[in-house]
Amino acid sequence: MKHLLEYENMKIAVCAKQIPDPAITVTYDGGNIARPDEQVLDDTDRYGIEVALQLKEKFDAEVTVISMGKLGTQKGIQQALQMGADKALVIEDPALENSNSLMTSNILSGIAKIAEADVVIFGTESSDGYSGVVPQQVSRYLNLPCVSYVKGIDIGEQIVLTRQTITGSEKVVMPDKCVISVTASGVEPRYPNFKDIMAAKSKEVEVVELSALEFTAEQNQEFVEIKSISSEKSGEKHVDEGDGFTLIIEKLKEIKAI
Amino acid sequence: MKSLLIGEVSNGSLSAGTLEIISKLQENSLEFNLVVIGSEEEPSIGSDSFDVTYIKVNSDALSLSGVADKISEKINSDGIELVLASSTYVGRDISGFLSVDLNSSPVSNVINFEVNDSIITTTNSIDGGESEYYTNVTSKVKILIVRPKSFEPVDVALNNNFTTLTIENNDLTIDVHDIFVEEKSGPQLEDSKIVISAGRGMVDVDNLKYINELASKLNAAIGGTRAIVDAGWMPYSQQVGQTGKTVKPDVYIACGISGATQHQVGMKDSKFIIAINKDEEAPIFQIADLGIVGDTLSIIPKLIENL
Repeated sequence: MKHLLEYENMKIAVCAKQIPDPAITVTYDGGNIARPDEQVLDDTDRYGIEVALQLKEKFDAEVTVISMGKLGTQKGIQQALQMGADKALVIEDPALENSNSLMTSNILSGIAKIAEADVVIFGTESSDGYSGVVPQQVSRYLNLPCVSYVKGIDIGEQIVLTRQTITGSEKVVMPDKCVISVTASGVEPRYPNFKDIMAAKSKEVEVVELSALEFTAEQNQEFVEIKSISSEKSGEKHVDEGDGFTLIIEKLKEIKAI
Repeated sequence: MKSLLIGEVSNGSLSAGTLEIISKLQENSLEFNLVVIGSEEEPSIGSDSFDVTYIKVNSDALSLSGVADKISEKINSDGIELVLASSTYVGRDISGFLSVDLNSSPVSNVINFEVNDSIITTTNSIDGGESEYYTNVTSKVKILIVRPKSFEPVDVALNNNFTTLTIENNDLTIDVHDIFVEEKSGPQLEDSKIVISAGRGMVDVDNLKYINELASKLNAAIGGTRAIVDAGWMPYSQQVGQTGKTVKPDVYIACGISGATQHQVGMKDSKFIIAINKDEEAPIFQIADLGIVGDTLSIIPKLIENL
């Protein structure tokens, strides 16, 4: 049985992606997602950050936020630090614009190494690019076990992670060195209070230079075009005046669904 | 272009996602081999028209780095140039591992592809399905992760003509405690004829009881938006949309769902869409065949009562 002492003082890198405000429709510029100066923390990453912070509280872990992409106002990085991470390691370089998933994971693996991370934590997929393979790729680059689709963490006599599977779930003991991806809804991300928000301002945000990393992945995807296929539907719309349910029942009968 | 499809076993046969991709490959007369990952004893996954290798693992555990090692070897020794997998938990993990081994970034969420000489053009759905995004993949080895329900499955004659490669330990570095198979009662999201989905408009998690009741009356599967999955009302496995599942039922009933583009991606191709929402301007009405502007919480109980 794995002893909890093995996790003491571990170092955790947790990914935080800055994305355009999801309330605003995504626009494209030559096939690339247009990124304003002010981007926000991807909500997906809040679940990974929460897991990292639970481990920090229990094992006195050091939590480093890692991020790649246009820095801008760094609002999203600040949001991650406000939740309770200790510091941030970030990278922005023209050579990394519009990276594919492999380039991204290659770079993030390098930054996780600089952070001397024992454990690297992600959301399952970003809300803008949603390639959904970066955690797996990082685990391969770092030669670490990959515990993907984690939907629950239970710290008792051991650290047990519950993974979502196609047929149900699977409980595994958390390796003391691994890469984890966390699905939404398994943990409840914390909200920072005023004190946390103020404290984040003095946390260190270090910019990593591309030349400091071993970068072997290449761009293999060329944008061709975006075609609109808008399919205007001429559906019926009725305001419910107490009879809405009858319209639904009639329609279900008409299309022979019931 | 020598192709390899990474398939999965489901109930003694090939999974729906695997069959869908086979249909596309056969329709385009593309030659391919199949590797199938599973733990069942004697599945019917073989074929006389393509080579099948069954990678038999010792449990259903999701840790598959050892399986990826074997597939990488096969890709290199067979000179494979196109690798395809379905966008499932297993397909995504394996494709992610392979992409590092082969130094080739995968294209995720592919809904269609075309082969022209040595280049593959992939299609992705964006803007909630309002637009299609085309990409040329230029690396020597190309990896495509295909969204389920992208192609119509055709009948494929399957038999026991396959070779088995047994892997004793999928991944020694992860200690699996327990594998829990959810009891699947009632219709499942992926193949149910009717799907009822709930959104924020259901107001409170307790109100999902109406959705459950309606689903049992209509023999329907239940889905939800990302917002309510994030809120912990439903497990991730029931999420419909961009980061969740794609469904194409005969009837999709959206209850209290505004219809963000991320949700539409997962359900817009349903044959008949019924939407109930308080907000007359909700985008869901643009894709609904029948829209009812009204209070979901008053309409659904009446619907249940009168069905």
